[in-house]
Amino acid sequence: MSIKVENITHIYNEQMPYETTALDHVSVEIESGEFVGIIGHTGSGKSTFIQHLNGLLKPKSGKIYINGIDITEKKVKAPEIRQKVGLVFQYPEYQLFEETVFKDIAFGPSNLGLPQNEIEQRVYEALSLVGLDYREVTDKSPFDLSGGQKRRVAIAGVIAMKPEVLILDEPTAGLDPKGHKEILDMIKKMHKKEKNTIILVSHNMGDIAELSDRIIVMEKGKVVLTGSPKEVFKNADYIESIGLGLPPAMILMRMLKQRGKHVYTDILTIDQAEKQILNLLRSK
Amino acid sequence: MNNMIEIKDLTFEYNREEDGKNIPALSGVDLNIEKGSFTAVIGHNGSGKSTLAKNMNALLLPSGGKVYVNGYDTADESKLWHIRQAAGMVFQNPDNQLVSAIVEDDIAFGPENLGIEPGEIKKRVKESLQAVGMYDYRKKAPHLLSGGQKQRIAIAGVIAMRPECIIFDEPTAMLDPYGRKEVMDTIRKLNKEEGITIILITHFMDEAALADRIVVIDEGKIALDGTPKSVFVQVEKLRKIGLEVPIVTEIAFRLRNKGIHVPEDIISLEEMVNYLCQ
Ligand SMILES: Nc1ncnc2c1ncn2[C@@H]1O[C@H](COP(=O)(O)OP(=O)(O)O)[C@@H](O)[C@H]1O
Ligand SMILES: Nc1ncnc2c1ncn2[C@@H]1O[C@H](COP(=O)(O)OP(=O)(O)O)[C@@H](O)[C@H]1O
Ligand SMILES: [Mg+2]
Ligand SMILES: [Mg+2]
Repeated sequence: MSIKVENITHIYNEQMPYETTALDHVSVEIESGEFVGIIGHTGSGKSTFIQHLNGLLKPKSGKIYINGIDITEKKVKAPEIRQKVGLVFQYPEYQLFEETVFKDIAFGPSNLGLPQNEIEQRVYEALSLVGLDYREVTDKSPFDLSGGQKRRVAIAGVIAMKPEVLILDEPTAGLDPKGHKEILDMIKKMHKKEKNTIILVSHNMGDIAELSDRIIVMEKGKVVLTGSPKEVFKNADYIESIGLGLPPAMILMRMLKQRGKHVYTDILTIDQAEKQILNLLRSK
Repeated sequence: MNNMIEIKDLTFEYNREEDGKNIPALSGVDLNIEKGSFTAVIGHNGSGKSTLAKNMNALLLPSGGKVYVNGYDTADESKLWHIRQAAGMVFQNPDNQLVSAIVEDDIAFGPENLGIEPGEIKKRVKESLQAVGMYDYRKKAPHLLSGGQKQRIAIAGVIAMRPECIIFDEPTAMLDPYGRKEVMDTIRKLNKEEGITIILITHFMDEAALADRIVVIDEGKIALDGTPKSVFVQVEKLRKIGLEVPIVTEIAFRLRNKGIHVPEDIISLEEMVNYLCQ
């Protein structure tokens, strides 16, 4: 499923005192099966942007093509887009509302009018993709689960719609280290298995650098940088100047370089940093 | 008296409304927090951190044991105002903590409720906003500020009450990297320059590493308690209870497993760089 965003602009509260141009002529192309990371400080337009991709928001101007179909046109039905492009909001667990986990995840598929056995199959598959045990949780109230589990149930609800594009808005925010790791592992596993397109919004530069094929950097409603993690984080000073950080492994390497050590600074993961340091120690 | 907070054999149980069941959240917690100290509290979700924090300023009262704030027993209702004034709290979501349409009104809200006279309130509003570096924003509407700025306003609102101690419950969880830095710089400044006792609950190990002391909570009990160095050395134990270590500690741990004798007390980037460059 390819996505082509052409020159979209979005303005909140147009012609009111608090008018905000949240997206300012944004153009982006995303290929089928790509893993795209989106970074940008709070208010840079990330959430506004991704809500355009599944038709929740309409641009003031510009076009959005999903598989060649312009979804900004009136005749395109919102539910059809939402089935193809699944969006997991920030803190999605606040939107759980049914009395059992099963019902919560089945809500979307039921609305599609699928037969009961297909619904059950989808709930089963979605739970296994998010790493929860069907028998253990299916009849539980979502409110009796841990924070990390609740969030996975909420994500399962979106996955059960079998979207070809899965968008996650800061899916690990507020989770403890274990919950964080569980969600990341789940996303990795799913991407590998389903080969779906994933768009991940996150403030965690280490995660973004490790997972993304390509990173989109947003600032003041514009896309200011895009490229592979290496290409993007090469602009370290610029990234820091717009209120973002660098992957921790890269920070360490940059500090070593400053002290005159011969190390590469385009290092993004702990594994790579470990190798560099081993080389450094061995060459002493 | 050198302790800001004294906790003796604290037990806490929630009573769940639906079925009347008691849910144990803390058991046998003994903990003293020294005046002027900076303590980080870490633990996985549901381990009891927020319950502990709320017991520290009488938002919750012990099911068993005792909590003293500045020497006042939190179970003594007549001391409630003294306790709340001594120990302020800042929560995760700044949006839920700001009540007014203009920043300076928000800061004045708490002192006004205490019945403090207007001249003094004005002075406190100014000082509090200056302490968090937000004085220039005093006439702005809170909802137009960034997450980090809003959180600093929430902190200023607490400072205006002139607390000796501030308990932060995951204050940076919802912020971007810059907002996190703003808030952490503010917290450290309040501790170092104003001498305010700090208790910081956080999931970010690099933030916990900045404290003088780390208390690790697991299943309602204190699992580890010591300096950041002495706590983060225990990589395997921390992993077992669902926690991580700062990246530098992780790298040191891996190198050690490869037979390289990295000193055990390396937890910051600077220390690692110094070690590798020696
Ligand atoms: N519902 C809304 N009404 C008015 N302004 C909004 C709304 N949502 C977002 N904004 C504004 O649009 C800009 C972009 O916000 P957002 O897309 O949420 O950014 P991000 O997700 O990067 O934090 C910000 O200035 C924000 O205040
Ligand atoms: N209001 C409540 N009613 C019932 N149980 C609660 C309530 N608040 C917390 N708990 C339970 O108490 C335990 C400790 O929770 P909490 O102190 O919030 O942990 P933490 O802050 O470390 O995530 C958990 O098992 C949690 O489910
Ligand atoms: Mg957002
Ligand atoms: Mg908590």
